[in-house]
Amino acid sequence: MRGFPLLRLFLVAAGLELLGVPVWLLTRPAPSVPLPASAPIEPQKMAVYDVLLTSSAPARLAVRVANQPSVESAGPATSLSASFTMNAAEPEDLAVFGNFDPAAGNSALRVEVRLAGRTLADSTFWGTGLVEDVVTIPKP
Amino acid sequence: MQVFFAIDLHDRGEPVSSMMNRLLMATVVLAWATFAQAEPLRVASLSTVMADLARDIGAERVEVTEIVKPGVDPHIYEPTPGDRKTIAKSQILLASGLGFEGYLDKLRPSLEKAGVRLVVGGDVVKPIETACEEHEDHDHSHGSTDPHWWHSISNVQAVVAQICDAFIAADPAGQADYEANAKKLQSRLAALSKWVRLQLAALPKASRVLVTSHDALGYFAKDNGFEILAVQGISTSDQPSSQKVKRLIEEIKVRKVKAIFAENIENPKVLEQITNETVAKLGGVLCADGLGSGATATYEGMMKSNVSTIVEALK
Repeated sequence: MRGFPLLRLFLVAAGLELLGVPVWLLTRPAPSVPLPASAPIEPQKMAVYDVLLTSSAPARLAVRVANQPSVESAGPATSLSASFTMNAAEPEDLAVFGNFDPAAGNSALRVEVRLAGRTLADSTFWGTGLVEDVVTIPKP
Repeated sequence: MQVFFAIDLHDRGEPVSSMMNRLLMATVVLAWATFAQAEPLRVASLSTVMADLARDIGAERVEVTEIVKPGVDPHIYEPTPGDRKTIAKSQILLASGLGFEGYLDKLRPSLEKAGVRLVVGGDVVKPIETACEEHEDHDHSHGSTDPHWWHSISNVQAVVAQICDAFIAADPAGQADYEANAKKLQSRLAALSKWVRLQLAALPKASRVLVTSHDALGYFAKDNGFEILAVQGISTSDQPSSQKVKRLIEEIKVRKVKAIFAENIENPKVLEQITNETVAKLGGVLCADGLGSGATATYEGMMKSNVSTIVEALK
């Protein structure tokens, strides 16, 4: 060994290379995790939803949809119609209100939601004074 | 009672000393009965939410001791020897369950020995599973079930009935009171549920993305159509990797999320970092792991605060 410097050099180099393998394995850049592919943003398909509120006694009626102006009756009324243009794939919830004269006792507020003449939701809420609730329109 | 003894005296014509003895005994029995009735049911709670419900249902008939207090991180909490003594002296112990109290199984033998009845809220709720990412390599106390059941009001309604039943079993004399109080609480919870729906109706569905410190609002999200993007996992002890934070920032940018939320217990440092790299602002602080203080010291207060904070920040 002493008389073969080239062999010594070779052995040292081989040893260093062997040591380098685990070092490289530990320090190599991790394969980048692909970012979740975001769903391509498609233009929303909009649809017009017709809403009809009917009350058992005259009341101040109102219906609200997120990000749209609310529709309210001018005064006490027994019905109110409104139309809202919303995303057809995921329509917003409707907040409905009927402010009855408490003297009217237990009163009913019916809410019907139609799309192209087809009834999607039909709910009736009961109460005294202010009757308020939320109607969730089922996805098509 | 006085009428009874008066009649007794006249009818039997017994010696006065004998009657005095009877009166004394009656007084002692009456005093004991009064004392026994005044002794409240001792309830200890590992859950701030269940403690609040217990106070409502039990009112003056129960004495509730909060072992885990508001503002304490229940994910890393361990009962002290003093807590164990308090628990052993109680008649009922309330716990969230579903793995929320990792030490609960260790407590069970001592509870049985001390005759403490354990009421676990998680036993009567509908649990939801949670995605358990980045945890394949080690165990943690949650399994894959989300233990934060109180963020669904319908779960809380089930737990109210459970606590009411437990109180009646331990103190049958208070049945009418417990049932009346539970009924009032149930109707308040129904009103709260409607209030939540009305508030959230103002929030467009596309905006219903909740970016929070840790994944604690899964039940709220399921009930109200939200999607959760959490920095940490299901426990506050889960730490996010830099890759996960990077992915989250990308997602927030793509989804155009307006706001992200810190928690009452958490250090919002990571969230602040995210706000620096996106257009999302820090929307406020949510109570995730239990009740807070002030306006959030009650369950109803906590829910109202959380919902108002979310709606205000995301609409």
